Amino acid sequence: MKNAFSVRFAASAALIVASTLASHAQLVSPNAQNRSVIKTDAVRYLFPEQLTLPAGKPSQVALHFRVAEGLHINSHTPSDEYLIPTDFSIPDGSEAKLLAATYPTGSIITLPMDPKTRLSVYTGEFIIQARIAATPGNHLVQGKLHYQACDQSQCLPPKTINVAIDIIGK
Amino acid sequence: MRRNTLVLCAVILILATFAWAGWANWEYRRQEAEKLLAGAARGELVAVPGGDAPQYVSPLNGKPAPAFALEDLNGKKVSLAGYRGKTVLVNFWATWCGPCKIETPWLVELRDKYAGQGFEILGVDTEAEDLKPDDKAGWDKDRAAVSKFVTQEKVDYPMLINGDSIAEAYGGLDDLPASFYIDRNGKVVAATVGLGSESDIENNIKKALAE
Repeated sequence: MKNAFSVRFAASAALIVASTLASHAQLVSPNAQNRSVIKTDAVRYLFPEQLTLPAGKPSQVALHFRVAEGLHINSHTPSDEYLIPTDFSIPDGSEAKLLAATYPTGSIITLPMDPKTRLSVYTGEFIIQARIAATPGNHLVQGKLHYQACDQSQCLPPKTINVAIDIIGK
Repeated sequence: MRRNTLVLCAVILILATFAWAGWANWEYRRQEAEKLLAGAARGELVAVPGGDAPQYVSPLNGKPAPAFALEDLNGKKVSLAGYRGKTVLVNFWATWCGPCKIETPWLVELRDKYAGQGFEILGVDTEAEDLKPDDKAGWDKDRAAVSKFVTQEKVDYPMLINGDSIAEAYGGLDDLPASFYIDRNGKVVAATVGLGSESDIENNIKKALAE
């Protein structure tokens, strides 16, 4: 009887100790994800990556971009003179020329801590209609999108990203 | 009797095991946190378990604030060293930063409230424009924009320009507004990124004054 008790007791104690050690091992696992760093590219160019346009003739092209979730960028016509507008350009000297760009109307938002100030912004996916004329041939055109992004409580510095488009003028 | 002794020993052993597991876990987390901070050349936003707002972890916390000397809007050089013995809030902002502008009236109010206790604010404009030193037109435009804002908001503390030149020393300044609370001995006692509440700002001022 005493032996049976001792065996059962020893087994129970061993089980408890083993489970304690196992749970501790899980808690200190190097793979434990109890922190994360928030870093993101505010705007990405989506498409088109390649275009075939009639050489020398202006063509309308829809350029698709996406603003990262939780962020907004000022529209092309922001509500304050100091806010940096979103602007698309193609550098001089490229084989394709940007004749005109038409920007979408911004959505109006307010920040929780300043409900009186209305901001004109882009969020999610937005499209810039670009009127482009390309010379004959195959050209990798490096357009530029300049913008400045914020979330509800902080702002990232102004940034310019490359908008690489393979344009075939035929 | 022997059975009771066995039971008692077992209970003690189990409790000791739990206690050791708890300590070891805490120690591991502490060491990992230190490694994270030591490895970070820049301040990072770190999500806090439990869904709280991300907290800014600056590598400057507890360390001497990096020295600097920048020009104010009149072209006069202003250095952080000149404020030794005072509690200072170094506030990095920009004219394109909406949240920065929201907190400015609070800063003006708090500066006036605590100035008598040896508190000062240094506003540091950080436009991130990569202006070259000899770009007079660019700097004039910068000064004009900052001056206009200072007048509009009745800012009565020193406003310095060219904050980009000291951005790296202060952890990179990837996000604005960024504030560093410096005690009378020149040590950073708190750092924040993003718009908090006026009471958060005041609590950090009190913390810096108390050091």
